[in-house]
Amino acid sequence: MGHYFLLLGIVAVGVGAFNGIRQASRSASANFGLFNQAVSGQSDFLIESPVQRLLEEDLAKLTRLSKEPDWHLVPVIEGSVTAVKNGSEDKKQLRLIGLDLLALGNLPTLAKEGLKFSDEDANWYDWLGSKNEVWVGQKTADLLEVKQGDSISFLASGRLVKMKIRMILNDPDGNLPDDLVLADLPTVQTLLSRPGELNRVEVVIDQVNRREDTAYLNDIENRLARELPQNLSLAPTQNRAADRAAMTAAFRLNLTILSLIAILVGAYLILQALDAAVVRRRSEIATLRSLGVDGSILFTTYVLEALVLGLFGSVAGVGVGQVLAFGAVGMLSDTVNALYFATSVEALNLTSIDVIVGLVLGIVFSLLAGWLPARDATQTPPAQVLARGDWSPGFSWLRSPVIGLGLLLLGGIALLFPPFVMEAGSNMPVGGFLAAGCWILGAALLSGHVLVLLAGWVRPFCSGPVFRLASSRLRDGSSRHRLAVAGLVVAVSMVTGMFQMIDSFRGTIEEWFDVRFQADLYISESGVTGAGTVNGIDPRLMDELLKDPNIKYADVMRICYAKPPRGVTVLAGVDMKHWSDQARQIWLKAPGSLQAVDGAEPALVSETFARRFGVMAGGVVELGTPDGTKKISPFGIFCDYGNEFGMAAISSDIWSDWTGSDRPINVSLYLRDRAKLLETRDRLRLAYPGLDVRNERELRDVALGIFEQTFKATDALSFIGLAVAFAGLLLGLLSIFDESTQTWQTLKHLGFSTHGFILAAGLEGAGIGVAAWVAGAITGLALGWLLVFVINVQSFGWTLLWTVPVESILWFGLLLTVVGFVSGMIAAIYWNFRR
Amino acid sequence: MAAEWIEPPVRSGKGYRVPSPDYSPLFPRDHGAHREYGLEWWYWVGHLKADGNLKNFGFQSTVFRVAGDPVKSLGNEDGLFGNRHLFLAHSALSDIKEKRYIHHERVMREGWQARADSSTLSLLAGGIEAEMLPGNKGHRLITRYPNGGRLELELFPLKPLVRFGERGLSRKGDGAASVSWYWSYTRLQAEGTLYLNNTEHKVRGEAWMDHEISSSQLGQGLAGWDWTCMQLNEGTEVKAYRLRQEDGGSDRWSSVYWIDSKGEVAQVYADHFTWEEEDAWTSPATDLSYPTSVKIAAIHPIAGQVSYYLRPLLANQEFLGNRADNAYWEGACEVLDEDGVVIGRAYLELAGYGGGLGARLN
Repeated sequence: MGHYFLLLGIVAVGVGAFNGIRQASRSASANFGLFNQAVSGQSDFLIESPVQRLLEEDLAKLTRLSKEPDWHLVPVIEGSVTAVKNGSEDKKQLRLIGLDLLALGNLPTLAKEGLKFSDEDANWYDWLGSKNEVWVGQKTADLLEVKQGDSISFLASGRLVKMKIRMILNDPDGNLPDDLVLADLPTVQTLLSRPGELNRVEVVIDQVNRREDTAYLNDIENRLARELPQNLSLAPTQNRAADRAAMTAAFRLNLTILSLIAILVGAYLILQALDAAVVRRRSEIATLRSLGVDGSILFTTYVLEALVLGLFGSVAGVGVGQVLAFGAVGMLSDTVNALYFATSVEALNLTSIDVIVGLVLGIVFSLLAGWLPARDATQTPPAQVLARGDWSPGFSWLRSPVIGLGLLLLGGIALLFPPFVMEAGSNMPVGGFLAAGCWILGAALLSGHVLVLLAGWVRPFCSGPVFRLASSRLRDGSSRHRLAVAGLVVAVSMVTGMFQMIDSFRGTIEEWFDVRFQADLYISESGVTGAGTVNGIDPRLMDELLKDPNIKYADVMRICYAKPPRGVTVLAGVDMKHWSDQARQIWLKAPGSLQAVDGAEPALVSETFARRFGVMAGGVVELGTPDGTKKISPFGIFCDYGNEFGMAAISSDIWSDWTGSDRPINVSLYLRDRAKLLETRDRLRLAYPGLDVRNERELRDVALGIFEQTFKATDALSFIGLAVAFAGLLLGLLSIFDESTQTWQTLKHLGFSTHGFILAAGLEGAGIGVAAWVAGAITGLALGWLLVFVINVQSFGWTLLWTVPVESILWFGLLLTVVGFVSGMIAAIYWNFRR
Repeated sequence: MAAEWIEPPVRSGKGYRVPSPDYSPLFPRDHGAHREYGLEWWYWVGHLKADGNLKNFGFQSTVFRVAGDPVKSLGNEDGLFGNRHLFLAHSALSDIKEKRYIHHERVMREGWQARADSSTLSLLAGGIEAEMLPGNKGHRLITRYPNGGRLELELFPLKPLVRFGERGLSRKGDGAASVSWYWSYTRLQAEGTLYLNNTEHKVRGEAWMDHEISSSQLGQGLAGWDWTCMQLNEGTEVKAYRLRQEDGGSDRWSSVYWIDSKGEVAQVYADHFTWEEEDAWTSPATDLSYPTSVKIAAIHPIAGQVSYYLRPLLANQEFLGNRADNAYWEGACEVLDEDGVVIGRAYLELAGYGGGLGARLN
């Protein structure tokens, strides 16, 4: 009975891992910044500018549209602030949303729910437009440990400001996220030092009961579109979610593929377990066969068993998935925050599709896993039972290298496939993933031969019966030994490949840091750490700061989003002379090695940008800016690992002309007297508590912190894969010993001690571990190369320096050997105990 | 008929200016906003005919301006999200033939969605826009309704503007500051176009416009008011209102005004008229009961006893605001005499039946 529960558990964990990751990644990346909807309700359309930044003069042009009673225009400004808990160093990054709090009262859902922003007896003008008051939900209040009327300090745009909690918003259903801070729109403009700016205007239809009426919505959309100023775009809100979903599509697909690997390893575990069941019942099967039971009946019985296991296991897996999703969602949303844009976690929801996908996956993989042992059982001849222990026709194909070699070749061919271009302009390296899959499977199939080969090499050096027994059994390379190695190889190669990619990434970033960051001090807005965050520092504050007497030169950087024909990219305003002549970069093409096209603004572009827009050899890219469509042309290409959307840097003056803004995102300071670096840093920190003032070392730590955050998900999946693989190894060894019953009994009669048997089993396990490590490490190296030079280049557009973490791989090999040894002994002890 | 004179203060309790007696308004400037006063509204109602008199419509368009901080509200607002004044816009259309009443409310802060010029009639609030026509011979009113409906009217005075109340102050209660400047065009010729259900109707009819400025509208202890303006077929108009006290009685400042064919005004207070409820309609939406059929019997200073019977042209003309307790009934009516003969058209307003109105307007 316990055996069945174990099998059910295995299926449940496999399905759960897939479903949990699926749900968590959806939940972590579904919200995409429309945080205000928790307050203002669902919106139907969005009015945006190509660069995701609207000016109030754009809003003034929408006055005509605002007169219509059929919809409500809801201007939104959003950004991030860092709350500093009173009397502590504890900081919490929050989303700050600015809405017209008075006009919200017109919204149909709000009017119904009666969301209040003040007590009944207060004058509206006491709170509307208030410069220092904010509203939060109960969850945020709990997090910040504040109540109505309390003060809280925020770091915003580089300034430290004290705000008052005007009211805890009524939120009986708990819809308000725990990182939401709401304030009147002009208050937020001031706090974020973005006077006259908005992020977007949302459109909420008045007759919310007609949301399902497509004809009505089309009519509304047409009426809105007729009056819309040319420089603004209108789209149904669900398209935004789709756009943002497209932006993270590559990331989410990577996760899905990784979770599929987890389920594949799970399937391997099921196969091992069902196979173990067949082996254990071999004598029972043989007896049945002797009594004339037809092979097809046995086959059907085992397949049915697999089906039942798959069904119940999947049902349990859906539940396990929910639990895993709860654990993973925070981690994934942190990753999305760090990599892409601010997002908040949406409540996890289990859809019928999740249930169906979970069931189908679990059943299909269980059937596939059950098929081989079932066939094995069917073909068991009665006479064979007593003749020999190792008899597994179901896995005889593991002995042939042809399929394995074929898969390796197929993987090589898949590399020739071009990447698939996704909606938001990012690329999906289809060929790269196919190659990875083929190589992993091919290596798994060939790993048995590695086992036999290694055992053959070692055998001459073995002395004593225990060592000789272990090595000869491994050299015989039974199908089950091969199966145990194959399962481990999948996990080992995956983990080794990931190790390499992460190490290559880390190494590249460190190298990039060493070259790129040569300034003395780096200043950015406090608390804002996401790679995709565009917030900024109050320009007046920056002017004030730059008056410091010890500053020799300040490299001020400004960025905003710009709209290429597909997707989105980043446009930076920099001191071009400094960037071209003095600032150190890792140049792919040094400034001047490309000829900027006449009539287009000369730009230094990142490698990602150049690859995305096909200007590695020069050319022109058209970008939508607040000032209309502009042309830029690269005259140099630099390496940049800040984001996967690419960046084009142009002269600051032109940038300000195009964007109508001069808000810096950060500044690098070169000091007159470097001896006074720490003194200057501390002075600036004291004078500007809302800014992060860091030296190169501190900046590196922060950047690597973001980097580690980014790979949290990958680490977790690697861990699941490894855990499942080791469990598989344990089950595999049990099958091996079950199957070798006759051999062991004979040896025992010949005087072989139980200790000797356990030690031999441990050595057998260690041998499997070593073989899996050798085959897995070789495959892992190939995977690492694939991840660095194909998948990363195609997905993200950047070239990494390939680093092989030899030490980690060696340690991993030692770990595998030890774990294999211990697993072998545990399996033998258990087997011996059962006998 | 003269009543007790109570001298109004210069400023209300909250600090807004209080309308002063003997003020001589200057138009079109005084059609504009009076930012230093706490409360102001522009109000249009009327009866329109369309498609060769086959269709009848009643309309109500009202813009309220409510001042914010008494000190800051005087300054001009230059931002798109002001907090010196807020505006409410109420629009309603009664389609008498189709027995349909459409209405909507918007509340906005001064800025990109709402503004009122201080130097002339130039208003924007929600779906309502009003501005003077060239030469100031009349003004244009545009009102928008749900489902793409729109009423565009040009309104021309058929009579001179009327200033109500003693020494130009209309008193609404015993509180010294409970006075307003109350100016009306009691008969405007209305012409224009109504876009309704994707159909364009040429409309023509007569309208009434009020512009009232105050800083403390109602006296203490008032629950609401019943108000009507009648345009009689013989060319005169009647305005009557009953200020309802919380105990059910009528405040002594309740009044009836008669405007003769030349625009001359005669007035009596509560002790010279009665307002009798003859029938009521209960709203299925709010369960509130509104006395929509009334008899107003008054003693005209010259003509003596007169009676007017108001009958709604459509039962459901209840205006449901954003707030649940803001509902009121305001609708197109006909005016009958003692013999049941139709002698004119009216608009009847029944406010404060949901409670709490008096407190909010003070």
